[in-house]
Amino acid sequence: MTNVLSFFRGPWTIAMYTWREGMRKKILIAFLILSLLVIFGSNFITAFLFETGSQSGTDVDTKLIKDICVTAISLFGVLITIFISASVVPNEVDNKVAYTILSKPVRRYQYLLGKFIGVQLIVLLNLALMGALFFVALYIKEEVMPSLLLMSLLLTYFMFLIVSAFTFAISCTASSAVLPTIAGLFIYITGNLTEYLKDVYERAGQTTQLLDALIGKTALYLWHLLPNLKAFNMRNEIVYAQPGDFMQIERIMMLVSYSVIFAIAGFILAYWIFRRREL
Amino acid sequence: MAAVIETDKLTKIYEGALKGQDVTALKSLDLEVREGEILAYLGPNGSGKTTTIKLILGLIFPTSGSLKIMGRKDIGANFIKRNIGYLPEGAYYPEFLRGEEVLRFYGQLYGLAGRDLKRRVGDVLELVGMSRARNRMVRGYSKGMRQRIGLAQALVSDPKILILDEPTTGLDPIARKEIRDILVRLRNEGKTLLISSHELLEVELISDRVGILYDGELKTLGALSDLLTDRDITVVVAGLTAQARERLESGGVEVEEAIGEHTTLRVPSNRNVYEVIDLCKAANASMVSVRPRRETLEELFVRVVGDAGDQAAEKQKETAK
Repeated sequence: MTNVLSFFRGPWTIAMYTWREGMRKKILIAFLILSLLVIFGSNFITAFLFETGSQSGTDVDTKLIKDICVTAISLFGVLITIFISASVVPNEVDNKVAYTILSKPVRRYQYLLGKFIGVQLIVLLNLALMGALFFVALYIKEEVMPSLLLMSLLLTYFMFLIVSAFTFAISCTASSAVLPTIAGLFIYITGNLTEYLKDVYERAGQTTQLLDALIGKTALYLWHLLPNLKAFNMRNEIVYAQPGDFMQIERIMMLVSYSVIFAIAGFILAYWIFRRREL
Repeated sequence: MAAVIETDKLTKIYEGALKGQDVTALKSLDLEVREGEILAYLGPNGSGKTTTIKLILGLIFPTSGSLKIMGRKDIGANFIKRNIGYLPEGAYYPEFLRGEEVLRFYGQLYGLAGRDLKRRVGDVLELVGMSRARNRMVRGYSKGMRQRIGLAQALVSDPKILILDEPTTGLDPIARKEIRDILVRLRNEGKTLLISSHELLEVELISDRVGILYDGELKTLGALSDLLTDRDITVVVAGLTAQARERLESGGVEVEEAIGEHTTLRVPSNRNVYEVIDLCKAANASMVSVRPRRETLEELFVRVVGDAGDQAAEKQKETAK
C-alpha cells in the first residue's frame, strides 16, 4: 500500500501543479468565458428570435437553447482540450521546468502520468462549468433537470479524452505547441468522419475491381483502427429529447470502455515517444 | 578523495536530420568530480558543458562511453536522483506560486511530506536568505531572489551533489557575493559542487579545481594552484622618463599602464627583475612596488581556449590541403 501511495505521490503532485497552472492560462480562460457567454446568451437569443407565450414557441426556444449549448460545449470544449493537451509538455521542456522535475526522483512515465491527469482535471473542470451553465439556461426554460443531458456531458468528456490522449502523445515529440494543436484538430475532424470509411468499404464491396477491393480493405482497417468520435455525439437525442428521457446504460458503458482503451493506447504511445526523447 | 562523478570516454553525437549534419558535442570525455570539492566546469558557448550536465542528469543519453555517479551506472535510478540537486540556467518558476509553495512542490517530488517537508523547506529558505520572502508570489521576486529560490529547490532534499548551471549570472555584486558564500558553506559541509559558469572571476574565488572544455574536448583539468602559474612580475615606478621607458620596452618589458606619475611595468619571467629596478633607479625613477604577478583564471582560460582554437584552425588547414 505504501509503495502504491509513493508511486502516485509524484504524478499527483505534478497533476495538481499542472491543474493550477493550466487554469491560469489566458487563452483557456478566454475560451471558457466565450463559451459561458454563448451558453448563457442562448436564452436571450431565443427571446429575440421568437414570440414567447405559445406552447410551440416554447418548444422551439428550448430546442434552440439545447442546440446552441451542445454546439458551444463541443466546440469550446474541444478547443480547450486540444490547446491544453498540446501545450503542457512542450512548454515545460521550453522553460526548463521539465529539467528540474526530471532531475528529481521522478520517472518519465510518472511525469507524463502527472501531466496527463492534470490535463484531464482542467478539461473536466471546464466541462463541468459549461455543463452547469447549460443546466441553468435550460432550467430557466423547462424547470426540469434532464438526465440525458448529464449522460451527454459524460460522453462528451470521454470523447475529449480520446482527442486529448493522442494530442498529448504527439506533443511529446514536439518542441512547441503549434504542431500538436494542428494534429489535435486533425484527430478531432478525422475522428468525426470515420463512419464514412465504413461506407467506402461497403461501396467498394459492390464491384469486383482489384483497386476497389484494396481501397475497401484499407478503409475497413482504418475504420477499425481510428476512433469513431461521432459515436459520442448525442446532439440529436438531446435537442429532440423530452423530459424524463434517458440513455441505455449498456451504450454508455460501451462508449466509456471504448474511450478508455483509446486513451490508454494514446498514453502508451506518449510514453514510448517520450522515454528516449532527448531533452 | 573518492570520485562521485566519473566519466569514461563519454561521447555524445547529436544526430542531424540528414547525413553529414551530425554534431559531436562531447568527444571521449574523461572527467572526475571528487567528493567535497568545487569543480568549475568552464568553456566557451557550445563547448559541451550543458551536454555533460544533461548526460549526468539522464536528460539525454550517451552515444558511447560510460558514466558513473556515486559508483553506480544506472543514471536514472531514484537513489542517484535523490542525491543530486540541479539548478538549470535561467529556469522558470511558476509566477502564481509563493516561494514556499515552489519549494513544497519540489520537496514533494522527493517524497517529502508533513513535518519533514515543512522543516526542510524552512531550513533551505533560511540557508538561501529567503525566509522573509517565503510568502511572496514568485512574480514579485527580483532576479537574485529567483536565483536563490532556484538554489533552494536544488537543495531541498539535502543532496550530496549539486550541479549548478550559471548560478551567479545576471546578479548584482552583493547577490553574487551572497551566493558565493552559500556555495563555499555547502562545500565546507561536505557537499560536492559542479559549477558551469562564464563568470571566471567568481569561480576563481571559490573553486578547488577547474576543467576547461573546448569543442567537446577537455583541454585542462586540475587544481587552480597547479594551473595558475606565478610567471611575471609587476613593477610600479614613479617619475619614469620617456627615454627610460623606451629602453625598458626595447628590452621586452611591457608598459601596462601609465596614470599620472605612476607607470606599471610587467617584467616577463625570462628577464632579471633586478636589472629593471637598477635601470629605473639610474633614470631617477622611484620604486613604488614590486610584486609577483599571478596568472588569473581569465588569462588561463583565454590561453587554453586560444591554443585550442589555433590547433583546430591548423588541423583544418591541413585537412584542406
